[in-house]
Amino acid sequence: MNILEISNLTVRFGGLTAVNAVSLDVPEKQIVSVIGPNGAGKTTLFNAITGIHEPTAGRISFNGAEACRPFRVATAMMLALIGLIAALSALLVVNIEPLWDATITANYVYQQPFSWVKAARAAIHYFDEQLGQRFVVPFIIGAVTGLAGAYAIWSRSRRAPEVAARVGIARTFQNIRLFNQMTALDNVLLGMDSRLGTRFWHTALRLPLYWREQGESVQRAMEILRFVNLIEDAHQLADNLSYGHQRRLEIARALAMQPRLLLLDEPAAGMNPAETQDLMKLIHNIRDRGVTVLLIEHHMPVVMGISDRIAVLDHGEKIAEGSPTEVRSNPRVIEAYLGKEHGDTSAT
Amino acid sequence: MATRRRILFHWSFLLVAALIPVVELVLPGHPHIGDVLRPILIMAMLALGLNILTGYTGLLNLGVAAFMAVGAYSYAILTCDIYPFRLGFWSATLLTVLVGLTVGLFLGLPTIRLRGDYLAIVTLGFGEIVEDVLKNLDSITKGTEGINPLPSPTVFGYQFRPETYQPWYYLFLGFLALLVLLNRNLRRSRVGRAWISIREDELASSCMGINPMKMKLLAFALGAAQCSLAGALWASFLGSSGEPGNYDFQVSIIAVCIVIVGGMGNVGGVLLGALVIIGFNSIVLETATDFLKAHQLISSTNAFTAPGNWKYMLYGLALILMMRFRPEGLLPSKQLKAELHPEEPHAPPPAP
Repeated sequence: MNILEISNLTVRFGGLTAVNAVSLDVPEKQIVSVIGPNGAGKTTLFNAITGIHEPTAGRISFNGAEACRPFRVATAMMLALIGLIAALSALLVVNIEPLWDATITANYVYQQPFSWVKAARAAIHYFDEQLGQRFVVPFIIGAVTGLAGAYAIWSRSRRAPEVAARVGIARTFQNIRLFNQMTALDNVLLGMDSRLGTRFWHTALRLPLYWREQGESVQRAMEILRFVNLIEDAHQLADNLSYGHQRRLEIARALAMQPRLLLLDEPAAGMNPAETQDLMKLIHNIRDRGVTVLLIEHHMPVVMGISDRIAVLDHGEKIAEGSPTEVRSNPRVIEAYLGKEHGDTSAT
Repeated sequence: MATRRRILFHWSFLLVAALIPVVELVLPGHPHIGDVLRPILIMAMLALGLNILTGYTGLLNLGVAAFMAVGAYSYAILTCDIYPFRLGFWSATLLTVLVGLTVGLFLGLPTIRLRGDYLAIVTLGFGEIVEDVLKNLDSITKGTEGINPLPSPTVFGYQFRPETYQPWYYLFLGFLALLVLLNRNLRRSRVGRAWISIREDELASSCMGINPMKMKLLAFALGAAQCSLAGALWASFLGSSGEPGNYDFQVSIIAVCIVIVGGMGNVGGVLLGALVIIGFNSIVLETATDFLKAHQLISSTNAFTAPGNWKYMLYGLALILMMRFRPEGLLPSKQLKAELHPEEPHAPPPAP
């Protein structure tokens, strides 16, 4: 059972082909590594999976479906509503002053009772007289502009990062992107956000659901922090944590999303050997919790030690795939990635 | 517990504010402190609205005066005698807030993908547009005169009068307390967390499943609603919508100053900023002018001797000095961060 199936994925930036016709299947509950020299397109691949880059061609299917916003009835109704509002506001912009004069000023006598029915009739009469110029034209222009604008925004956000995140793809970044001015706990709570049920009015009015969920989510966040061994730093600002801890916090934040697939972009970069050992243990534990892990890593001992499968990218193309032993002995890999000297495999 | 002390502090603060009109009755000379405090309360509300946008979400808005103008004019149109609506205080205020919400959405929707300087320019333009529309939509807004007079509101059966300022003071204080509570609640929930994450790193926060578009629109709508509430209260207090020139760029800039000087993203900081900046404007400068007049140090022929004319230079100087020496504001939110979840049982002892 493959949780992620990438077929013939191509990502182009102008004339540069960063990822070229890459196909990759990620089986569920395994650790799959993507390796390759710098600039091979590994991070671009990750960005395409998480919806940051739009694929130029090819298909990424997660859990049997593409991760993009479905076009539902509610979407159509929302678009129609925005179009209608835009049309009405265009109508208002064009007509407001004469309309006001015809309905309110003409019918209202200072401090006398006012007949709204009469005003409504006057409005209908006004539009009846001016039907072509002042009603139909602005209405159509407004509706078209509103609909087109709303549709453009909607379609551009179809394959957005938040969509990928909500279906269960979590990721960390090559250069750590924590929320530095938030505490570690808040970072994890933020990762949990898409799993929370409180809405704006619950939090504004502090309804009971807010309190219940607040307690539960903090407790869960603490569990996750304990899982990655950061419980002592829960109330520290992320900015003040050491580098290795920040890496782990980023993983914790991603785990808080309760993902089915976790993408780790060079998690061991800049770590010392002891921290690297801990990290490998952590990744194993994550896998044992039932989360599939897709890993980019330059650190060969890590890759060889924990991967179930390895895919090798070079110049945007996949040149090899297989178990660690297979990849290690693949001549193309040795040539492209590890260089001619077989012994020096631990280059970072 | 640190929280209990903080709550106590907040309540005592509110108590002091509530006692000001009472205490000053027994002071010699009836100094009317509460009277001059009213603009501070209104501007604090405006700055709180801006704080949601700029402080939390990181969207620099240079046109909040326009939201205030929308609030003031809607309130005026809905309550005045020259138009048939003639609503009461509560229904007019509620409708005004809804109008502000809608206007915020209208500005937010097309600018949703803009950030930083570009958004600032658009909101600046929006402020100018609103001012010009109010000037030129003669038959509705009465042009440069503004809509006046407005009837004094009746709240809970009490008829407000322009001469007695104490009820106004309490009304504004009540609304301000309400807004402070609302903002604090939002800040310490998933909504505030999401806003701040967008300010810090929009891409990372969208990768966490947060929809930045939705959260930004919410910030726009709420910020605008709060600003228009400030406008409505201002109009009810003036007894007039004010003229369009009252809601010009300077008001927006003062609101930005309040938020920056006070401390971005921190409700307490914004209140302090309002106290400092508006207090300086309407208390310190006025007192200085009166003092100089009494000693005949102001000559009407020399504009340089009037302290009021130095106002904007002093603001500018204050901003420059703040940026150099204390860019996070007088009361930055960072220091409060560690206290945000003190009820958590696993909390380690606070760092020394």
